[in-house]
Amino acid sequence: MRLTLAWRWAELRMLLALAVLVPLGFVVTHIARAGVLEAGPLTLPVAYLLLMLVAHGLLVVSGHRGDQLMLPLVGTIGGIGLVMLNRLAPDLEKTQAFGLQLDVAQTQMIWFSGGVLAMLVVAIGLRDDGLLRHYKYTWAAIGIGLLAFTALFGYDVNGARLWIDLGPVAIQPGELIKIILVVFIAGYLADNRALLTEASLRIGPIRVPPLPYLLPMLALFGAVMLVVVRQNDLGQALLLFGIFLTMLFVATGRRSYVLIGLLLFVAGAYLAYRLFPHVAARVDIWIDPFADAQGSGFQPVRGLFALARGGLFGEGLGQGLPATIPYVHTDFIFAAIAEELGLVGAFALLAMFLMLVFRGLRVAVLARDEFSALLAVGVTTSLGLQSLIIVAGNLKLIPLTGITLPFVSYGGSSILASFLMIGLLLSISHRTTLAAEREQGIGPDDR
Amino acid sequence: MIATNVRRLAVYLLLAFVVVSGGLGWWQVVDAGALNARAENPQVIAARRSALRGTIFDANGQVLASSQVLDGISRRTYTDPAFSHVIGYASLRFGTTGLERVYDDVLTGRADPNPLRDLINDIMARRTEPKDLTLTIDRRLQDFAAAQLGASAGAIVAIDPRTGEVLAMTSTPTFDATPISGVPADAGPPMDAITARDGDPLVDRARQGRYVPGSIMKIFTAASALDAGVITPQTTFPDQPDQESSGFVVDGFTIREHDLGNLQPDLWPLSPALQVSSNIFFAHVGLDLGAERFLQYARRFGFCETTGIGTGSRALPVSASYVSAPGDDGCGPISDDVELASAAFGQAQVTVTPVQMSLLAATIANGGVMPGLTAVRDVRAHATDPSAGPADTILERTSTGGGSRVISAAAAQATRSAMVDAVEGELGTLYAGQGAVKLYGIGDAATAGKTGTAQRAEGQAPHSWFIGFAPAQEGGDPAIAIAVLVEGGGSGSGLAAPIGGRVMAEWLRLTSGG
Repeated sequence: MRLTLAWRWAELRMLLALAVLVPLGFVVTHIARAGVLEAGPLTLPVAYLLLMLVAHGLLVVSGHRGDQLMLPLVGTIGGIGLVMLNRLAPDLEKTQAFGLQLDVAQTQMIWFSGGVLAMLVVAIGLRDDGLLRHYKYTWAAIGIGLLAFTALFGYDVNGARLWIDLGPVAIQPGELIKIILVVFIAGYLADNRALLTEASLRIGPIRVPPLPYLLPMLALFGAVMLVVVRQNDLGQALLLFGIFLTMLFVATGRRSYVLIGLLLFVAGAYLAYRLFPHVAARVDIWIDPFADAQGSGFQPVRGLFALARGGLFGEGLGQGLPATIPYVHTDFIFAAIAEELGLVGAFALLAMFLMLVFRGLRVAVLARDEFSALLAVGVTTSLGLQSLIIVAGNLKLIPLTGITLPFVSYGGSSILASFLMIGLLLSISHRTTLAAEREQGIGPDDR
Repeated sequence: MIATNVRRLAVYLLLAFVVVSGGLGWWQVVDAGALNARAENPQVIAARRSALRGTIFDANGQVLASSQVLDGISRRTYTDPAFSHVIGYASLRFGTTGLERVYDDVLTGRADPNPLRDLINDIMARRTEPKDLTLTIDRRLQDFAAAQLGASAGAIVAIDPRTGEVLAMTSTPTFDATPISGVPADAGPPMDAITARDGDPLVDRARQGRYVPGSIMKIFTAASALDAGVITPQTTFPDQPDQESSGFVVDGFTIREHDLGNLQPDLWPLSPALQVSSNIFFAHVGLDLGAERFLQYARRFGFCETTGIGTGSRALPVSASYVSAPGDDGCGPISDDVELASAAFGQAQVTVTPVQMSLLAATIANGGVMPGLTAVRDVRAHATDPSAGPADTILERTSTGGGSRVISAAAAQATRSAMVDAVEGELGTLYAGQGAVKLYGIGDAATAGKTGTAQRAEGQAPHSWFIGFAPAQEGGDPAIAIAVLVEGGGSGSGLAAPIGGRVMAEWLRLTSGG
């Protein structure tokens, strides 16, 4: 087989900036911790850099023509996360992963490797979208099966049944179901978009979608939501609902769908507030966490204190007290970053997420077919909304939910799913570029 | 079509990120100060538990308070109970009081006195070192003053009238602040023991005690009336001799003179009237001054509002002193002439703090300019070995702002000369004479002063007061102004005046190098 190299200089240049950022973060943390002016162990940052460079190399070697900003953005966000986890590691319990006693940063590094591998497999391996598009009902069945399996055989962590034990590791199938759902909705909407856009029913001023065509999707979506709510995973429910409405809006251009959806959401949220004590508790904590600052409001209050300690320029890496927040490495890693890197650092992180979102939407805009466009919108929205929901939860803008900050929070399933989504975006972007070049009569050999 | 919708979506998501960024700015900048100060903030708790507090030195570099961190808990040791009220305590269990509270952020190193360095430290995320305080109070004088009060409840405030530096400020009964400032779990019983004792040992009588002043208030009335031109040192009131014996009827209420003993009433001008402490004379002066001007001068002298020793956020609070019933904005209106006439000689609704009265004496001593008070001389870098004295690096020198003119120099001079007579004059020696520093071995200095015997409710012994300053002879430069209060101590001449004289003499002796 002949290698078709595609140089990706922009990507490489930006990745090289990581060579400064990540080791520097480790060194600064080490100095703050040890109180000695020395570099400290640099195995992890070097491994992380190598991982990113290997990913870059494989993309080059495989002649990948996908977006060049994606990998550096994700690499930087993930790098900041790794620096933060390494900083938090001494304050957290070691984990048992693959039979080894590893701290959270080391475990996360393993997940990063798995995630990048998954990303490359999808980005390079997914030659066309047939596999996704034509088997959407199969995918939906797998998704439902996974959910049902978790609900029946999974185990609870903090009152939510989200985990299944796979021997050496435990995974959260919810993260993968999110992708499956996005694939299914994209496939369904792409097939039925014309019908959905034509309004057939009018009730007063509102044009109602032709229900029969929405039904299969609504049914599946409803089933997923039901299971998710049953599993007490409110953040995931909110996220899935947001993704669904967004994709519906992009496919049809109908604000009325979104409005109806939001009304349904408000009504549902109110019902849940009245019916489920755990939901009511969450909302009460959100409204006034200081009312029970030593009890139920402990975690969010500690999070707010961390934000305040950070101030404009932060306490400096290793100099704050982020470990005073329970579950800081998963739920509150954003607050930890805001504490030690300050408003300036947290803004930078948000800006990178925003850039990632814009880059993902750009892939959607340029995509050659509706399925690809909707898929790109779906995964981008998923990443964007998930960041917004957990960050807004940290900032007490919305009730706190236990979802992860993509690429940053500790957690294998989340890392794996997030990188898979980047893989999908890269794959779509690659095919778009190739198609465009083919149209202009530029073959790979003519470059 | 899809592309258009995606662009719209991009705008919505951008807006969502903007909102989230706004929330971030709210917590990290706008509301951060309030959150950082909350007691349940782990940073505040942790910092307090383990933070080494700076040392507090007296004016001569003697250690008054120092900290040690043992087993991760910061323990504070106070060397001298005479300072317990002014320094206060820094307890992990009971909070922080006194200068410990006012300078908390400096002592713990959370703030730098210099705002620019503070900002730089913040930007550099530099952990600031604890800082040390040097007081203006001289431990020798403080201990001397506390010993003079002995077992009596009372307060002594001595200040340098030229600079406003507090030289001694002590309140009795006092308490040992060390046991309540150590390990939080062990601090309960000692605190219970302190609060169970009689006489409210935790109250700083110098700053927080409000007492009827009695005759020392006549200094205020005289100075104000002289400044307003209502009287001159020669002014007399023709009816006075008669009223001395039969009483001065104001609006149907008879104001009586105190027992003048063998003295025959006379047409006394200011000096003899102050020497014999004539109530009738000062009732006349007060009425001529009028309620409005009486209140006006009271405010200029610092009555009628909460004040402080120090400036701005670094002020050790001093309770308001009142010349009338407390009202919405400080002193309420004076209801009638009876009240005004009585207030003019320090009765009626007048209630004052010892600090305020020391300030009154200092203002006269300082030629009519009221000095700004301070008890802290400077903030210094932390001395690693406190027993070797304070570090050389002075980070901030306290400035008192130079003071403000309250009355004219001429009015102050006339008041001063009457006050010297009140101690050293032929009649005055019978009353405030025991306040003279000459009696206590300072031969060449005259003393200005005034006693007060503040009448209280039937059956309660009067408060004994003395205010004064020395050296007060013509051309002398007063180096100390003082207010002495002994609760229920009886006559001012009997108890407070000799204490005042001894403390001032001690200071003149200490500063003359002898």
